Amino acid sequence: MKTFAAIVIGSAETQMRVYELAARAEMREIDCISASINLGVDAYSEGILDAEKVQELVTVLKEFKSIMDSYSVDGYKVCATSALREIRTGLLVRDYIEKQTGLIIDIISNSEQRFLDYKSIACESSSFEEIIQKGTAIVDIGGSSMQISVFDKDKLFTTQNIRMGKISSREIYLPAAKNSRHYESMLTELLEHELAGFGKLYQKERPIYNLIVVDQDLEDMLRRQYDNIASGQEAVTGDVFHIDADVFRSMYEQAITLRPDEITEKYEMAPDSAQHVIQSLIFCRSLLDHTGAQTLWLMDVTICDGLCYDFGVANKLIKPRHNFDEDIIAASRNIAKRYKCNQAHIRNMEELSVLIFDRMKKIHGMTKRERLLLQISVILHNCGKYISLANVSECAYNIIMATEIIGLSHDERRIIANVVKYNTAPFQYFSKISSLDPLDRNEYLLIAKLTAILRVANALDRSHKQKCSGASVALKENRLVISVETNEDLSLEKLTLQERAAFFEEVFSVHPVIKQKKGYK
Amino acid sequence: MSDQDKIKENAKNAVKAAAKETGKGSSKGSTKSAAKVTEKTAAKSAAKAAEKEAAKSMAKAAEKEAAKSIMKTADKEAAPAEAQTVDYLDPAYYTNRELSWMDFNIRILEEARDRENPLFERLKFLGITASNLDEFFMVRVASLKDMVHAKYTKKDIAGMTAADQLREISPKAHKLVAQQYSTYNRSLLPSLKSQKLELVTSHEELTPSQAAFTDSYFEENVYPVLTPMAMDSARPFPLVRNKSLNIGALISYRGDSENAKYIEKEMEKEREKEREKEKDKDKEKQKSKDRKKAQFATVQVPSVLPRIIELPDEGDGVRRAILLEEMIERNIGSLFSGYDVICAHPYRIMRNADLSFDEEEAADLLKEIQKQLKQRQWGEVIRLEIEDGMNEKLLKILRKEFEVQEEDIYRISGPLDLTFLMKFYGLEGTEKLKTAPYTPQPVPGLIGEPDLFAAIRKHDILLHHPYMTFDPVVQFVQKAAVDPQVLAIKQTLYRVSGHSPIVAALAQAAENGKQVSVLVELKARFDEENNIIWAKMLEKAGCHVIYGLVGLKTHSKITMVVRREEDGIRRYVHLGTGNYNDSTAKLYTDCGILTCDDAIGEDATAVFNMLSGYSEPKSWNYLAIAPIWLRRRFLYLIRREADHARKGEPAHIIAKMNSLCDQEIIAALYEASTAGVKIELIVRGICCLRTGIPGVSENISVRSIVGNFLEHARIFYFLNGSDEEFYMASADWMPRNLDKRVEILFPVNDPDLKEQVRHILDVQLADTMKARELTADNVYERIDRRGKVLLCAQDTFCEEAVKAVPQEVDPRKSRVFVPAEPAEE
Repeated sequence: MKTFAAIVIGSAETQMRVYELAARAEMREIDCISASINLGVDAYSEGILDAEKVQELVTVLKEFKSIMDSYSVDGYKVCATSALREIRTGLLVRDYIEKQTGLIIDIISNSEQRFLDYKSIACESSSFEEIIQKGTAIVDIGGSSMQISVFDKDKLFTTQNIRMGKISSREIYLPAAKNSRHYESMLTELLEHELAGFGKLYQKERPIYNLIVVDQDLEDMLRRQYDNIASGQEAVTGDVFHIDADVFRSMYEQAITLRPDEITEKYEMAPDSAQHVIQSLIFCRSLLDHTGAQTLWLMDVTICDGLCYDFGVANKLIKPRHNFDEDIIAASRNIAKRYKCNQAHIRNMEELSVLIFDRMKKIHGMTKRERLLLQISVILHNCGKYISLANVSECAYNIIMATEIIGLSHDERRIIANVVKYNTAPFQYFSKISSLDPLDRNEYLLIAKLTAILRVANALDRSHKQKCSGASVALKENRLVISVETNEDLSLEKLTLQERAAFFEEVFSVHPVIKQKKGYK
Repeated sequence: MSDQDKIKENAKNAVKAAAKETGKGSSKGSTKSAAKVTEKTAAKSAAKAAEKEAAKSMAKAAEKEAAKSIMKTADKEAAPAEAQTVDYLDPAYYTNRELSWMDFNIRILEEARDRENPLFERLKFLGITASNLDEFFMVRVASLKDMVHAKYTKKDIAGMTAADQLREISPKAHKLVAQQYSTYNRSLLPSLKSQKLELVTSHEELTPSQAAFTDSYFEENVYPVLTPMAMDSARPFPLVRNKSLNIGALISYRGDSENAKYIEKEMEKEREKEREKEKDKDKEKQKSKDRKKAQFATVQVPSVLPRIIELPDEGDGVRRAILLEEMIERNIGSLFSGYDVICAHPYRIMRNADLSFDEEEAADLLKEIQKQLKQRQWGEVIRLEIEDGMNEKLLKILRKEFEVQEEDIYRISGPLDLTFLMKFYGLEGTEKLKTAPYTPQPVPGLIGEPDLFAAIRKHDILLHHPYMTFDPVVQFVQKAAVDPQVLAIKQTLYRVSGHSPIVAALAQAAENGKQVSVLVELKARFDEENNIIWAKMLEKAGCHVIYGLVGLKTHSKITMVVRREEDGIRRYVHLGTGNYNDSTAKLYTDCGILTCDDAIGEDATAVFNMLSGYSEPKSWNYLAIAPIWLRRRFLYLIRREADHARKGEPAHIIAKMNSLCDQEIIAALYEASTAGVKIELIVRGICCLRTGIPGVSENISVRSIVGNFLEHARIFYFLNGSDEEFYMASADWMPRNLDKRVEILFPVNDPDLKEQVRHILDVQLADTMKARELTADNVYERIDRRGKVLLCAQDTFCEEAVKAVPQEVDPRKSRVFVPAEPAEE
């Protein structure tokens, strides 16, 4: 039995949830405390946080810490999202808060945040696996942006971030119009433009039946409104709240005419939330219109659930229900497809690189997570060609750095971009590479190791003809023997490997060789 | 034709005309609704006009009759329109809360007059009426006066302005006071005498030995603490403290005595000096004038000394006592040497004590309350009590200085401030004249359970105080404080007793390293000073103290203990209807539950998070919290019952509380009654709902129980089809509870506990001894006992609580040696 506290410093509120985890039992939330601290408004419009707000945050976090102590928690995680991510002084503020509270804070990237959300949804709802069998879009409406993730046949197909959130659209895009009668139509038009782009590029002909919206306030409001219509009773807790698109549209018509203060009054909503929920309503309607989804699912999840899930999995208290690594890989494959990468070549390389990684475990000491990064590097290693055949490495680097890959942190993405870059470009050693990219020592070492493996795997399919498929790999003293049973001519591969072997040896002190079992001797 | 007859006639004509119109309407169909409106308006305005006019006239009985007959006629004629046209908010359907409160105090006075009650209980009841009336004046009357000053003319639910209410209260209060003293003088004093107990009402009646004792007692104990104050042109009228008993006197300078001559000589010297210094002749003239005329002087009867002093035994077997003010009056001359005391009479004032301030503006709540406390004694004088027969000149001075109107002067034929009777109750050797003391019994569910938490894990536990002991609640906190498995304790404190064991346990828990959060409500009226002391002490011990919420009084009574057990975190919760006060728990009837139900634990956690200033939860499992959700919840429960009735299902509400004066709730009850719901209300005090109004409240009964214990529990029962629901709460059905306080409504879910709660309600509804029922004439009447079992609910609960405890059997009593039968052949 362990207790875990997850704290999320969000743009509108800072929340702590305390969970209890036991092997062979569901994770159980035992406390949930939210403090409304509106960091988003300052962060998005000014780029800095007001000192008073920072102090307020420190006070709340100190109190959270004492509540954590009252449960004598076994672990905790504090994550900050866009409000701290998007200010100029993010690191300074983080350091100040850490020193004042004694808590360690992670400022997580958008893609990490979305991935945690996605994990929260998956571990919250038992019907999740069932829902995503049919075309499903998960839309997470945040303060500064919204994330749309499309699923098809239980695999993540794409995930895109649209830079319009419920706070930012009001404070940045339409600050002057927020009290105007035409606000609804203006915001709808703005959003339509964005959604049209998303549809053309990503959704294409793929039908979407379910729209899962993650927005606590919207969920709360619609649930209340629905219950009022349905039975006059108070909202009931239970499984995921869902309604038909048409029911939503009629509820929308009733609610959209209300002013924020009327929403506060009618739905007993905090004044801040009431202002933001209007944007969520408009987003939701536009999304339904654009995707053609028939059912709207509303979820009240926070990334706290995802953080607890990670803690549970790491401590072997939760058996993963869904393979989230598969989603990251699926999303990467879709990116590779978009950039017309050679799929057969990638698959062959994936097979070889993973094999080398696994056989070399004792030497490199890398974990499962780094294996995943290697796989993604392989999948994306060729994407630069889409832009330019002459400048592949630089183009690939830029594409990867500009593409959000769900589940990966910004740092991890940068590692992949570097690995892909040095697959073909001359490797830069620490003093040089760290001047180009803000990498630390560990990241540098990781890049070197992954690059060495990627280069060897790439050499083994230099001809792009998958001659080495079915190869076996064995580590014999200081030699990595790659045994290939083929009658094909491996001269090109052998020659390329010779070129790449030096770097591999530099990194691992192991020399890779190809041993051909059949064919020419 | 008299005025009354005219009003009656007009009203009847209006109703007839309206009914005629209805008849036409129904034949035409299309004009039906218009006719209904006309009829309704006519009937209503007629009823209103009649009532308004009648209120003015002196013939109260005729007015009642007129209003009743109009209502009945209107109802009969308008029968087809029924529920649709009844305006449940009509002021005619409501009683003013202040007048209803006065009725409540009269019910207590009736207990003082009831010869079936032991003598000292009667004295105590009389003392209670006096203390109640004091608070009523300080808070309610004061606030009405404020409204009048502010020219606030909004009407209450019964259609009365503040001025109207004051007009009605005054004669009723005067009548009440007259009744108090007639009870005291004509019934209680003679009864005391017959028990060989005498209160010397006039010091002139003292025997020489008693007089000697009195004088020496005065000199030794009283004189040193007295501070006589006089008023003249140089000395302004002194500040007379709120609620303090004083003796006012007129004194005149005695020019002929030796002492006076000496004083005069001394003063002459002083005057000389002054003359030289100031050359102020006018002032001098004024001073000598002052000396010649009667001056006002006052002395406070010290509250630090006992008000009743027992006199030495005269050997006749009669115990005699004298009141402190009599003793001072007797010796008043010694306070003003050099002066003649022309007259001396006790008086007492009541000031506006309502603690109203803008919390939003108060930077520091604590400081603000402390400041207000100091200001309280400076409030406006709203009542002046004087000894009957007070010297007119003296009275004139008091009236002028206190700026009181004639109607605010109460001439008292007996000792002022009868609250001393509550102290008198404690007189030793009078046990026979009191109800036998009751010892709260062990809680049946906890007998033989060494581990309180283990017992709660087995099943929920119902506590019914004072029949059952309050100890488990104290132990709940005490055990948690030393239990190594306990991680945290959270509690709300509204009014705690002096040297509260709960507060001590909380402090100990904090010292033992538990996380202790306590919400101390600073705004509990008259307890503010007390609460600040506790709050500071707890803070010092390391507790996290929350000083209430801005704009809301935290009235809920909830304690949560968080324990880390083998199978995880478990929360133990106590929810109650009464304060965490071990002293009042022996006198107030209250209910509570101890539970470790997970869902209630979750809600309790959310309550404390909310009280700590964090966001409210999205939804609640079981609890309903005021001021946000409670009103809606009650209305929902009442309306749901009405829906059952409309469907033809049996529908029943039983609600027990202290006061009922919320208009929205009353209107919902009227509506439910009209729909056919049987509603039984047990309301101890204020009840603004009226029973027996045809077509409005025919299905509602109201009873009030005034007994030895103060009825304080709030219990709510809803039949809900056949799925009965039981709730308890810290809240009454009053706007202040539903809108301005943090209150908790909690369900009783355990089937066994439900049965016990139902029993509590049933016994109270069967009370024929201490209950009074509100009649359709809006008066409370004792239950007609003919053909009924004589039952006193409070006594029944006491007996049951004693029976519920397994008695240890004396083996000698049950041991019987049975002689063997001779063996049969």
